[in-house]
Amino acid sequence: MKKSLLFTAMFMASGLAVATVPITGNVESKCVITTDTAGIYGNPVANLLSTKVTDGGAAPIIRYDIITPNTYKAVITTPVDFSDSPELNDTLAWDGDITTSEVSDASMSAFDTNKRVYNNMTEIDLTVSGTAWFKAESSVSYGYDKAFPAGNYSSVVVAECVAL
Amino acid sequence: MRLLFPLVLLCGYVSAHQFIPTYPELRQSYMPGLYQAEMQLFNSRKEIEYYSVDVFDGSWNPIPFATEDRIRKVPYLGKATISVFIREQDKERVRYICSRSKILAGFKQSTAVDSKICSKIK
Repeated sequence: MKKSLLFTAMFMASGLAVATVPITGNVESKCVITTDTAGIYGNPVANLLSTKVTDGGAAPIIRYDIITPNTYKAVITTPVDFSDSPELNDTLAWDGDITTSEVSDASMSAFDTNKRVYNNMTEIDLTVSGTAWFKAESSVSYGYDKAFPAGNYSSVVVAECVAL
Repeated sequence: MRLLFPLVLLCGYVSAHQFIPTYPELRQSYMPGLYQAEMQLFNSRKEIEYYSVDVFDGSWNPIPFATEDRIRKVPYLGKATISVFIREQDKERVRYICSRSKILAGFKQSTAVDSKICSKIK
């Protein structure tokens, strides 16, 4: 008894105080676009630039994080013009393709089957919450078997998330 | 698989663009005849420092609006609160408020990614 009283008195005398520090958070509906991998054009033959691995390139990979299903659609646009290039005086034939490369939920396989493709745009309704990685392939050929002039070539993939 | 999603979200703050809320509400501003929506932008894209804000109707026609800066500097890992002011006469037409990353002219990357997120006024 004496010991416990002594301990209490010592504790009070030491002036120790305990405070609780709360950490609060809020998860709300949102779409997060993450650029996972930057793309690189390979130049397998003189008149072709391509992001395909088989052509020595690397396709950009864009990640979409979805908290609430059926609140957003992804719209990905592959390039039809260079944002930076040497002077070009012949026609360019562009091609692009969007595929789902990885998913966090198996039911996201529907993204590939239900996608809508028009012009150079691909629309995907994000009907499942989680994370999906989309690969944006791009290739361009120059003139009729004409060699691309030496220099740097850049283009832009547009990744959109539009609330439904 | 259950562990993957939180892990992915944690790892996600590497190079991301976030614009919330998904469904903003227009409310009367402190100025008569103007309605206001409050948006939050978070930038964790290291290569991007500027974002533009745009307002559209349901057919993606631009709608006149006012904000502090049409092109806003949001540093890496920075957060910005963007107030968008819309005229009372346009209140019923407004559908989308969008933010879009701006890639600088000197940015050298074979294929760059331009991110755009649009919130919807219901």
